[in-house]
Amino acid sequence: MSKPARPPARVPGRLPWFATLPALVIGALFTLGPLVVIIAFSFMTRPAQGGGVVYTFTTDAYRTFLFTKSFNGDLVFNSAYLEVFWRSLVQASISTVICFVLAFPLALWIATRSPRAQNLLVLAVTIPFWTNLLVRTYAWILLLAKDGVINQTSKALGLGAHELLYTDLASQLGLIYTFLPFMVLPLYSSLSGFDFRLAEAGYDLGARKRTVLRRIILPMAKPGIISGSLLVFMPALGSYVQPVLLGGGKVLLIGNLIASQFGDSRNWPFGAALSVIILALLGLCLLAVGLWARRSGTKVSLSL
Amino acid sequence: MSELITAGRKRVPRALDSRSFPGVGPVAIAALVFLYLPMLVTTIYAFNSGDQALVWEGFSTHWFGYVLTNHTMIDTAVTSVQLAAAATLTAVVMALAFALAVDGLRRRGSALANALMAAPLVIPEVVLAVATLAFIRMIGLQPGFLSLYLAHTTFCIPFALMPIRSRLDGIGREVFEAGADLGATAVPMLWRITLPLLVPGLVSGALLSFVISMDDFIISSFLSSAGSTTLPVYLYGLIRRGPTPAINVVALLLLALAVVVTSFTYLAPKKKRSES
Repeated sequence: MSKPARPPARVPGRLPWFATLPALVIGALFTLGPLVVIIAFSFMTRPAQGGGVVYTFTTDAYRTFLFTKSFNGDLVFNSAYLEVFWRSLVQASISTVICFVLAFPLALWIATRSPRAQNLLVLAVTIPFWTNLLVRTYAWILLLAKDGVINQTSKALGLGAHELLYTDLASQLGLIYTFLPFMVLPLYSSLSGFDFRLAEAGYDLGARKRTVLRRIILPMAKPGIISGSLLVFMPALGSYVQPVLLGGGKVLLIGNLIASQFGDSRNWPFGAALSVIILALLGLCLLAVGLWARRSGTKVSLSL
Repeated sequence: MSELITAGRKRVPRALDSRSFPGVGPVAIAALVFLYLPMLVTTIYAFNSGDQALVWEGFSTHWFGYVLTNHTMIDTAVTSVQLAAAATLTAVVMALAFALAVDGLRRRGSALANALMAAPLVIPEVVLAVATLAFIRMIGLQPGFLSLYLAHTTFCIPFALMPIRSRLDGIGREVFEAGADLGATAVPMLWRITLPLLVPGLVSGALLSFVISMDDFIISSFLSSAGSTTLPVYLYGLIRRGPTPAINVVALLLLALAVVVTSFTYLAPKKKRSES
């Protein structure tokens, strides 16, 4: 697996460098372009009415994030939006942890099956991954609704009905359900190459199961843990569908707050500023992981 | 390697088996049940004959007929398929050209290019959606099919690129060197060696792009206009009003799409997974 010091000579049959241009131009226009625009918009003024922006520089949008104007025009600290960020961070963190708790045993279990079974089980984890997000979320409405499957069962058992849908718990459950495959697949790919004779060597040297898990298998899975956690945490932080459909829109998360600024609230500069803040947060997150990976020599990739 | 280990595996007491760990099996099964129970429930209720989504009144395929003759449903599905087909075609061609040419960039250039390609995967979708909306307004476009097409192409490219690349990396350079030694020039090499060998990667790339585009809701909801509503955008509106038997059927149909596409990419000639 060692890399040659010099890149090998060009493979014949490859295309010249400028064949990358169409993809790069599209990327520059529709990924980089929007990001530049959103940063620019976050420093602009809100028009007197309607959406859009007026091209006058101001940091009002960022000030709105932390302060409100009181009656006499003073700026007063307002923690409402910080609380939204905090709530989103908490939900995303809980999702990441619970996904890991479920995914690690599953990935390890899959990795210890026969090769044929491994293929089938990976397929079984991949199918939910490629199923429409709305469909996966809708399925939980069927389960959690007032006359839903869980309440029907609970009533049949004489336990009575419960208010399950349109709660924090429902939204949290939806996030865990949506992102579980994102954790399983990278964990599995870092465990699937594991030579279980190493575990056996551990037992021969007197280690117990728990020691082998902690000292041999967990460190092996580290790249998978990191990329799985990023793949769950980052989209969960900006989630939009689950809080509305399962949380009933009662719990405001960053994703919904941003979307509403470009929708009903029509405060584009503030929505843009919120976007920039969350991007900066995720950028720091990636930077920290990148630095850590470089220092510890772990290879972290974000693809599945 | 894992085949070797399995082949040499003897019957040993569970406690001594190096491959079993306490508690791992039950949690794994529980996680699989957790993943599939909601889908199973959706599947069952799609065949409900009653008028209410959650009151079981017997087996029937009545609601399939209703969905498949509902004009709005069909129109939005057609828009989605057209959009997905157009975006997939463009994304696969661009991803192919990119994969075959990126090594020609200088090292720093190729690192930047790769980062740009992967960016849509790490930017929160809501942020990308509102930013794209602001951007297209800025360059004078309106929400509508063209905007949807450009945005979908952009986020499909990384998904088209992944399998094409991993397939390309799986082909030894000696294949291309042999071709060159036998006198193949650029164009015959592309048509008769590179493309045929890349077919599995191209097919999975295209299928993944297609599904990703068909599934997209957040970006589409910001870029749709009255005439270009996609199926997920329409479906979201329906779901917000509460479960109905018709939604159960649409959900099952979309679920079936995922099962077919995923199984197809998996059962197609295996690519090497270990290197990805």
